[in-house]
Amino acid sequence: MSGALLETKALTKAFGGLTAVDKVDLSAEVGKITSVIGPNGAGKTTLFNLIAGVYMPSSGDIVFEGKPLGNAPPHKRAALGIARTFQNVLLFDNMTTLENVMTGQHPRSRYGFFEAALRLPKARREEETISLKAKRYLNLVGLGMHADRNPLSLPLGQQKLLTIARAMATEPKLLLLDEPGAGLNALEKQSLSELIRRIRDMGITIILVEHDMDLVMGIAEWVVVLDSGQKIAEGTASQIQKDKRVIAAYLGEEEVAE
Amino acid sequence: MTTEVFLQSLVSGLTQGCIYALIGLGFTIIFSVTGIINFAQGEFVMLGGMLSYFLAKSAGLSIFPALIVSIIIAMLIGAVLYLMAIRTARKASVVSLIIITIGAAIFIRGIAGELWGADPVAPPYFTGDGSISVLGASIQFQALWIVGVTLAVSIVLHLFFSYTMIGKALKASAMNRTAAGLVGVNTRTMSLVAFTLAAALGALGGVVIAPLSLTSYNVGAMLGLKGFVASSIGGFRSHIVTILGGIALGIAESLTIALNWGPFTSAYKEAIALVVLLLILLMRSRKLSQEERES
Amino acid sequence: MLATLKKNRWSYLAVAAFLLLLVLLPTQLLAEKTSILILIGIYSMVTVGLCLLMGYTGQVSLGHAAFFGTGAYLSAILSTRYDLNPWLAMLVAAIATGIFAYLISYPIFKLRGNYLAMATLGLGIIIWILFRELSQYTGGPDGLSGIPNFSIGGFVFDEKLERYFLVWLFCVGALLIAQNVVGSRAGRALKGIHGSEAAAESVGINAAQFKMKIFVLGAVYASLAGSLYAHHAHAIGPNAFDFMASVMVVTMAAVGGLASIWGAVFGAATITYISQDAIVELGRSYPKLAELDVVIYGLILMLVMIFLPKGLFVSLRDALDTWRRRRAQRGAAT
Repeated sequence: MSGALLETKALTKAFGGLTAVDKVDLSAEVGKITSVIGPNGAGKTTLFNLIAGVYMPSSGDIVFEGKPLGNAPPHKRAALGIARTFQNVLLFDNMTTLENVMTGQHPRSRYGFFEAALRLPKARREEETISLKAKRYLNLVGLGMHADRNPLSLPLGQQKLLTIARAMATEPKLLLLDEPGAGLNALEKQSLSELIRRIRDMGITIILVEHDMDLVMGIAEWVVVLDSGQKIAEGTASQIQKDKRVIAAYLGEEEVAE
Repeated sequence: MTTEVFLQSLVSGLTQGCIYALIGLGFTIIFSVTGIINFAQGEFVMLGGMLSYFLAKSAGLSIFPALIVSIIIAMLIGAVLYLMAIRTARKASVVSLIIITIGAAIFIRGIAGELWGADPVAPPYFTGDGSISVLGASIQFQALWIVGVTLAVSIVLHLFFSYTMIGKALKASAMNRTAAGLVGVNTRTMSLVAFTLAAALGALGGVVIAPLSLTSYNVGAMLGLKGFVASSIGGFRSHIVTILGGIALGIAESLTIALNWGPFTSAYKEAIALVVLLLILLMRSRKLSQEERES
Repeated sequence: MLATLKKNRWSYLAVAAFLLLLVLLPTQLLAEKTSILILIGIYSMVTVGLCLLMGYTGQVSLGHAAFFGTGAYLSAILSTRYDLNPWLAMLVAAIATGIFAYLISYPIFKLRGNYLAMATLGLGIIIWILFRELSQYTGGPDGLSGIPNFSIGGFVFDEKLERYFLVWLFCVGALLIAQNVVGSRAGRALKGIHGSEAAAESVGINAAQFKMKIFVLGAVYASLAGSLYAHHAHAIGPNAFDFMASVMVVTMAAVGGLASIWGAVFGAATITYISQDAIVELGRSYPKLAELDVVIYGLILMLVMIFLPKGLFVSLRDALDTWRRRRAQRGAAT
């Protein structure tokens, strides 16, 4: 399919006897926000981790910019232009907020041990660039004034924004957001939606795994629904809301909860 | 190598291997319950031997009471080690815990050296220093004791883990700490029990081999290492493989000495355990990097 | 907060004071202890490499003394048996050690935590056994002697004071390089790996490769230190590079603070002083206590790791920072 930045083809992941992701075909169009939703245990996180390179597929392919990703480990995918955030934040608590974002510039900078050891001009120039770009991304998420703080002193909502800034600093083509709305209040979710839209407007493709339906329906341009590892529906937000299979899958979850 | 020499090597290897097995069990129990590698495990072996010697000599206790008291003292020290060092460093990183147990090992070794001097000593044999002859190989009574004790311990441990409440709780903690906690097992108490039990096993090993192979304040390090190798052969989980692994290691070492082949003189005997260790870690690393891709 | 080079007056002043101290110590203040000061410089180099490894990647190496030993032995063998120029010998030793470290880092860093520690332990002991048994090359348990001095042109480093400055020249150089690396992109990568390896990987950091690089750096530092040691002591034996030596270096790193470069010097100084000086003094007055260094290491290790896991030096520095900040706050409030 043309226009797809990332495609998964019959992607399957089995852990022993359990098939967490079952022949899923996903297509994320360039410059659009695609969301993956589904009841608990649907396989969203596994799918996410497959795309991020944390898991290797049992079968099937993931194709990025027309080229298969194969067994590329996460750090290689970051260099290729796939960035991600984590559900459980995973900040670097041993450096400042700005330095956290600066690590994101790692795949876009080159100087190594040798230049660093002797503080050669190349190293110092690149450090300048890294620092400037990092500040820009920090400002993008609205944390510019907290550059020198210890990230642990920030509230959860801002910590999550920080990790988005860090991911953005890798200058990705595809941004994978793992439940960015979890633990945020309504106001924070509003800002988050705006931020995600702004990122999309910068030309970056986004895949969003999220539980909060309002958040998803508000910004997603394409929604893919998983249940028990299989894709059961896909379409625009309004189409999905009316899809009988989707309702059944979620109602099933509600029934169990009662 | 003649059959006689071969058989004799087998016997001494089996004997030594049983000790490695006991020490290894200690490592396995502590690791499976707490996730900690207790670098001080070898020192419990040393304590067992040294204490039994000095209790028998100075306090004039006869052999078996001396053994029991030695083991009890070692258990107490194990408990103290856990309570004071490990539990206090609650949220310590792996690096910290490793260094702490190393510190404890050195500390115990140093104190032993101070108290008892550096000369090797040998406690009296349990039932005298006679031996029996089997197929041309002479097996000392003490060696029979060693094998017998190891066998008995294996059986008792099996019964303990399968049929007693504490044993079952310990086994549950070893299998899945969180789940055990959820069904009401006090995991902190289990850690304490694990340390105490491991200390007892180590001391027992020390007590039973000391008459045969002499002991001194610094035998703990190499013995501990070899016990660790036995434990790693068992994947830090399987008791039976640990025991078999320990015995296999003992026999391998003993055969190396007997072979005395080429540049690999008997001085390299110590290297065997290390090479085995590295091989096992190498195999494990391959499995680990596979698991990593999964998690 | 880990050490980032704060470009302010205080840190430049501190470095200047340190350099001044370095000059004054052997000449004015502690002239009779020059030997110990030389050892402190040598062990600081070994410890810095270990600190970088343990503090930044969070992995333990219990066999670091082995690299110290390969540097010493290679330098000794090449300069005595093969009459190689000591400088060249030191270079060759460092390169050889670096390559060796690189090769073993591949399989080693597939392991984690305890297993990694055990692997380094095992390797360290095997290398020590080789030092002891390959008597043809290493002189066996008695080691090698008659190791020549360094020399440049006609100037021979045969005076202790001269060797002192040579050693500390290398040491300060090593410290500055380490400081630069830590403050750089590579340093951030290392800190990231320590903070969260998964997150570090997600921003393009190849954790495995970095761990290997820092391991090699530490090995090279230790090798250089070993060469300096060989040409200072003029005789070496396997017992300076056994498991206890590795433990001693770990103790130095722990006392200094696992992720602190200047802390490494503090740790090396403290432990070297204790083992070389304090215990010897105590031994003279109380002969029974002379063997106590083992007990004391053990005690220090336990106490420091239990109560001050960041290390003595780093904890002191953090306490100083907090005190200074509180004073500033109080000043601003009034």
